[in-house]
Amino acid sequence: MAMSQSSAQVPVTVLTGYLGAGKTTLLNRILSEQHGKKYAVIVNEFGELGVDNDLVVNADEEVFEMNNGCICCTVRGDLIRIIEGLMKRKDKFDGILVETTGLADPGPVAQTFFTDEDVKAKTRLDAIVTVVDAKHFLSQLEQGDEAEEQVAFADVVLLNKTDLVSADELKKVEDKIRAINPYARIHKTEKSKVELEAILDKGAFDLKRILEFEPDFLEHGHDHDHEEDVKSLSFTADRPIDPDKFQKWMGALLQIKGPDIFRSKGILAIDGAPRRYVFQGVHMMMDADWGQPWKAGETRASKLVFIGRNLDGENLKRSFQDCLK
Amino acid sequence: MKLDLANPAWHTALPPSRTIATDAPVSACAFSRDGGVAAFAQGDGRIRLLPADVGAAEAPASEPVHRGAVLAMVADPAGDGFVSGGDDGRLLRLDVDGAVTELANQKGKWIDRIATHRASGALAAAAGKMALVFKDGELREFGPHQSTVADLDFSKDGSRIACAHYGGVTVWSIGNVTLPPRRFAWAGSHVALKWSTDGKFIATGTQENDIHVWRMAQATDMRMQGYPAKVRSLSWSADARWLYTSSQPVFTAWPFAGKGPEGKPPLQFGEEGASLLTVVAAHPAAEFVAGGYGSGELQLGDIKTRRSVVLKMADGSAITCLAWSPDGFCLAAGNDNGDLLLIDLRR
Repeated sequence: MAMSQSSAQVPVTVLTGYLGAGKTTLLNRILSEQHGKKYAVIVNEFGELGVDNDLVVNADEEVFEMNNGCICCTVRGDLIRIIEGLMKRKDKFDGILVETTGLADPGPVAQTFFTDEDVKAKTRLDAIVTVVDAKHFLSQLEQGDEAEEQVAFADVVLLNKTDLVSADELKKVEDKIRAINPYARIHKTEKSKVELEAILDKGAFDLKRILEFEPDFLEHGHDHDHEEDVKSLSFTADRPIDPDKFQKWMGALLQIKGPDIFRSKGILAIDGAPRRYVFQGVHMMMDADWGQPWKAGETRASKLVFIGRNLDGENLKRSFQDCLK
Repeated sequence: MKLDLANPAWHTALPPSRTIATDAPVSACAFSRDGGVAAFAQGDGRIRLLPADVGAAEAPASEPVHRGAVLAMVADPAGDGFVSGGDDGRLLRLDVDGAVTELANQKGKWIDRIATHRASGALAAAAGKMALVFKDGELREFGPHQSTVADLDFSKDGSRIACAHYGGVTVWSIGNVTLPPRRFAWAGSHVALKWSTDGKFIATGTQENDIHVWRMAQATDMRMQGYPAKVRSLSWSADARWLYTSSQPVFTAWPFAGKGPEGKPPLQFGEEGASLLTVVAAHPAAEFVAGGYGSGELQLGDIKTRRSVVLKMADGSAITCLAWSPDGFCLAAGNDNGDLLLIDLRR
């Protein structure tokens, strides 16, 4: 049931990136290249795209707070409406791309796919793709939180305009991206030229594919101990996790730090459970399910990752350790 | 002639009906003002017109009138044709002979909600953050609202329109005298709106699966909770005693006679469907209500006797729209698969 449902859901790719990073160029490529697929594109500025296409939809980014007492639970109201409308069309499409404005927080877009039942029934969030301007990224980091947050949210980073920087400069930018988000896949591009397979249908939010998307997810040594404002923290454990303690800890953590936690993922060895427990989330929203069974004799190791702002690593580590048996 | 669900015929066979299969989802259906034609708006940009007679021959082919999907369609309040809105940003008037007149063209916006006022022939459409109102041959725009207008409706006397949006409802006076709009605030996003048939209440369905109702006279409001899904379909009974709502497995009606629904449970009746109701439509004159389910089932309920009968079995394709003929003896329905349905309720 769940399987057949997921295959009928249209994958949605969220395309973020600072002003001028190359999102429009990328969208024009996707719309004009001959790849035999049809994508609906939801853009924030009509007419910016050179392509006149029925499947280009204009959206005013309307970020709505849910009236449910949860302050960081915001959704994109326009997206809910547009997806409902797109599903009424006779001609179906292979995917939907949602472009966010250069200064937008990708959180509300992602949360829409966790929160709205109608959207969830018809579509699935596939991945967040962030286009980074190699030449201007470092200076954009100085100008505000947006450039940094967009990278923090990313499953895939298109490190664009590599032809405009030296090898040294490129290395610096790449290191910086890695420091913020070591889990995103980076593709270096010129003029946003990239194979569509690199950015579409990645299944980054599919709990069944967490391992597939990040083969080294369970390996150690990802963390970078820089003084980053936004960074990733990972915690591992070889002892089983007490489910009650963990649930309580996680619930409290998301309640308090939810607005600062952009992405979270985990594969957990729950005490007494024959299967892996996998979860992933955006801010306070979370999806969780039982994953692959543990094999006989396999080391039952847990790992969880947070990418966020102002996270206290020592404190989190201690409190996570308290959840172990 | 009258509808009577006690007639044993309802339980031995489905009523006479006509189904035309097409390949585009149906977004709206309506009967013309004179009841002679049923129209079905679809995801291929077409509006298919059928004689409102279940025994009629095949419908003629139609050309797309909108680029993309037709998102909204209603009977023309000022003629015997229809008015439609699409994701091409156009608002069109269609005559039954197929002639098309463009009323508005708002490129880049979607026209996905249209409301009408029969007595005055007025028409209102949501276009982005604005509401477009056509009255006495004149177009006036109201807004901008705080967000895209999600739904809109006329007051009983046609002197005002109510627009649902993020943060509540705005009521505009559309007469010749310009009055400041009245705001009815309630946090969150409001996705559906219906003004009661007696003009005393405005009901909305919210993003949080609630219903919100404002009492116009005192500007007091109430909130009905407990729905498992967004209530996208609201319908007031002709006598304004009941507000029917979708998103329950049985007919659900809130009592508005007397002191109103405060502190009372809704009246629930009928055969429980295999899924939730997606569309409800109150009978234009009597105590009946038609309901379409996510499963494709169609039921007809009688709130007086609290009975219901099945009009169409479930087939897995969600009912997306329902419309009563003006005389209340015929029902039109459409679904996600593109089936156009006409059901004759005279038996």
